[in-house]
Amino acid sequence: MTNKSNNGFNTWQKSFEKETKKKFSDVKSETDEGIDIKPVYTKDDLENFTFVENNSLPGQWPYTRGPKASMYTNRPWTIRQYAGFSTAEESNEFYKKNLESGQKGLSVAFDLPTHRGYDSDDDLVMGDVGKAGVAIDTVEDMKILFNNIPLDQMSVSMTMNGAVLPVLASFIVAGEEQGVDRSLLSGTIQNDILKEFMVRNTYIYPPEPSMKIVADIIEFTSKEMPKFNSISISGYHMQEAGADNVLELAYTLADGMEYVRAAMSKDLDVDDFAPRLSFFFAIGTDFFMEIAKLRAARTLWAKIMKNFGAKNERSLILRTHCQTSGVSLTEKDPYNNIIRTSYEALSAILGGTQSLHTNSFDEAIALPTDESARIARNTQLILQNETGVTKTVDPLAGSYFVENLTEELSKKAWDIITEIEELGGMTKAVKAGIPKLKIEESATKKQAKVDSGSRVVVGVNKYKNPKEPSVDVRVIDNNRVRDDQIKKIQAIKKSRDITAVEKALDKLTNAAKDETNLLAPCIEAIKLRATVGEVSKALEQVYGRHFAKSLSVSGVYGKHFEGDQEFMKVENKIKEFENLNGRRPRILVVKMGQDGHDRGAKIVATSFADMGFDVDMGPLFQSPRDVAKDAIENDVHAIGVSTLAAGHKTLVPELIKGLKEIDPNSKIIVFVGGIIPEQDYEFLYENNVSAIFGPGSNIIESAEKVIDLITDNLSKV
Amino acid sequence: MDLIDNILKGERAAIAKAITLVESSKDSDQQISRQMISELIKKPGKSIRVGFSGPPGVGKSTFIESFGSYLVGQNYKLGILAIDPSSQITGGSILGDKTRMVEISKNPNTFIRSTPSRGSLGGISMGTREASIILDAAGYDFIFIETVGVGQSEIVASNLVDIFTLIIGPGSGDELQGIKKGITEYADIFIVNKNDGELKIEASKTASDYKSALSYYKKIDELENQVLLVSAIEQTGMEDVIKTINQIIDQNKLKGIFEERRANQLEYWIEEEVKNIIATGITKRLSSKGNISKYSEKVMKNEMSMFEAVETITKDTLK
Repeated sequence: MTNKSNNGFNTWQKSFEKETKKKFSDVKSETDEGIDIKPVYTKDDLENFTFVENNSLPGQWPYTRGPKASMYTNRPWTIRQYAGFSTAEESNEFYKKNLESGQKGLSVAFDLPTHRGYDSDDDLVMGDVGKAGVAIDTVEDMKILFNNIPLDQMSVSMTMNGAVLPVLASFIVAGEEQGVDRSLLSGTIQNDILKEFMVRNTYIYPPEPSMKIVADIIEFTSKEMPKFNSISISGYHMQEAGADNVLELAYTLADGMEYVRAAMSKDLDVDDFAPRLSFFFAIGTDFFMEIAKLRAARTLWAKIMKNFGAKNERSLILRTHCQTSGVSLTEKDPYNNIIRTSYEALSAILGGTQSLHTNSFDEAIALPTDESARIARNTQLILQNETGVTKTVDPLAGSYFVENLTEELSKKAWDIITEIEELGGMTKAVKAGIPKLKIEESATKKQAKVDSGSRVVVGVNKYKNPKEPSVDVRVIDNNRVRDDQIKKIQAIKKSRDITAVEKALDKLTNAAKDETNLLAPCIEAIKLRATVGEVSKALEQVYGRHFAKSLSVSGVYGKHFEGDQEFMKVENKIKEFENLNGRRPRILVVKMGQDGHDRGAKIVATSFADMGFDVDMGPLFQSPRDVAKDAIENDVHAIGVSTLAAGHKTLVPELIKGLKEIDPNSKIIVFVGGIIPEQDYEFLYENNVSAIFGPGSNIIESAEKVIDLITDNLSKV
Repeated sequence: MDLIDNILKGERAAIAKAITLVESSKDSDQQISRQMISELIKKPGKSIRVGFSGPPGVGKSTFIESFGSYLVGQNYKLGILAIDPSSQITGGSILGDKTRMVEISKNPNTFIRSTPSRGSLGGISMGTREASIILDAAGYDFIFIETVGVGQSEIVASNLVDIFTLIIGPGSGDELQGIKKGITEYADIFIVNKNDGELKIEASKTASDYKSALSYYKKIDELENQVLLVSAIEQTGMEDVIKTINQIIDQNKLKGIFEERRANQLEYWIEEEVKNIIATGITKRLSSKGNISKYSEKVMKNEMSMFEAVETITKDTLK
């Protein structure tokens, strides 16, 4: 530092300390990632970089400033809204409306039975059909989904991982029957199975065969579908599950490396497929951190791909889709979500995303309505058309703060990536359950910060709205959807050539045994009108279905509340309860149906245990009857049902019925937490649900309510 | 008692509530529980009680899921008592064993109960013995007692079962140093899990290491089939496990060891109960008299020796 600037800084520091009455070196705020943010950054903070190169340009090594030289000045990002619900017919209508209103690409959400490879008529999926996405059972559904949408012109992104083979096959066949050759299909299939084992749990097969399927798809598309992105390596769900940005960044890139290796094991040259790898990140409310994350991601990926020996420049470039954070949305004071989403969208743009989904404000409660979807889309249209953010490429380049943050994030992520590599790569780490546990730990910390008030969430733990607005939500009648789907399946099963179908399915099973590429025989079976469920089962015969073992953190939540009055109040109530009843209050925390998002359930389990409850955890994907048996055998006082996939209106009454069937005098109470529209509250209370906790509920307050309800219930004769 | 009739009928909710009673720390519950157990013990079933222990991470629950599925597939009724460790700090616990018992937990012929260990010695909770009496009376053919292998637990657990099994993982040869004499006296069967995939060679090696280590402590003829190789994931080796269990039980019955063991366990149980009652009584007296501090002050002031204080307090308390 020159003397002159040094003098300047000293003067500034004096003023700062006078104004704040604090020592400069004491003033810093630690982020979730463990990075200390200083109150001011200077030119000195641009020095000694390992990853970021100060004079780089957009579209040039190391691509920190963007994958393209011109970025949005030439063409703005693609507005790509993720949507799908109910039947293919209804989703198709919704898509067409959106395309007319300025949306450019499609992004299909499938329902959970489809994800997990079950047909809509399977008993296991009763409450889930058409709920969190569209139900696809056969290629006929896929054809309806894209009716009057020309697949040679429309880029289609599909969030599909578990049942990736039958779904991609259906897409290809739907295209062909529309008259579009597979080589002309453009878009992306998510096909990122590793993160399913970490956070989202919509897998079907164990990790190794799942990785083989990923590699098969990369191989097939690199040869036959040059315009199609063979994978979208996703950090989004990690952040949604509570990962901080370093974990999201590191695990996503480490996943990417594992897929590159899987593809190379198929004797593909890295440059044959690397240009078609794409990424998907979440954008949360930490404004500058999210910008830095996208810049760091590109920087690190370029380095990683160079190490893999990529020669083609396009192999080095990380292209990404982004989505604003769902977990940052609150049920309380929901219009605040429009504002949150707007800032998140701006972060994504300043970070240089290639396409973007903005959430609708009501998504903490239900699926978006036409109206809320319009506002979400307009958020992007306003950014593109009114704010001028498209006119300069990477406008934050050179910012002392943002560049420094980019470097810091890169360093921290690189350390984690190196650790994973030393463990033998992500498949091994995932099998050992390490990333899942780290993400859960991070999630629990974040929750504790909100519950203890050390992190402010407007309208939730501060500045609460005294008059909560009521919001109209989209209602899906899943029983009707299920009936419609069952009718369609039955009709197709009658008209198809069953011998040919069975032969095709046998061939598929054999291909799995022989370890040859599975997509081609899948396409054949789907063409003959085999169902998604049948194709999945044909492979299940060889691979089996995967059941995750569940590890839990403990002590992380309680640590944030040492000496906290509210926390101690609950602890004391539990001690009193134990003295009175001879045991602690005991609760069973469960998820039912095909909804695998278990972040909420895990946080409730670990934090309740930290307060002193005995907490039983049920396995994922249980039926209401399994849960009832489990609850009765362990004689729990209460069952906490965590639901994020809208199946609660079917599953919860079934559970309560199941309890009474085993024990007509059962005194077990049921409470429900997660995404539940207010319109359903009355229905649930009428069905004997004791309490409902929406997103953003304070866990300590919830725990107190639960213990009070249990105590009340026990005192009733 | 209605409860007893319902247990004998095998009603799930009755069994569950009875186990809650025997685990309860409330005086009135304990009284009811004693009466109930006294009645149930007169109506013994035919259960074989099998203990499973082993270090964390060897796949105990996964093995039990796999072996249990095999047994219920053969139409046996299976009760499982799984002891989960409680947190030492908060006293609360996460009982997650069932997340690894997906298939058997659904089966109508199983009853699975997790119990927090409450920090008691050896991870065996208060009431485990009584819980197995309840399941026995309710008609279960096998009762599994699963504990986390921590130090003393094997010894306590082995006092509750007819046959005791230690589950180990491949490459756990290092623990051979630790198994020494103690555990081999209590374990009847050693099961090496994870005999699959890449670990296969390592698993066989571990099995033979155990066999040779055991030969130092046990007579060769007792060793037959005692070290078994299984894969919980691939469901292999399960027939061997049940065959070995049945063989050992038959042999023990023939030699009278089976009855002798149960008699010893009864003796141990009586002794434990007597000790418990005495200890509880004495602790109450000690704290009600509150005079320990009086004596410790005297010791501090050198008015009497520590040993004199102990002797005086003891005499006083036992009066």
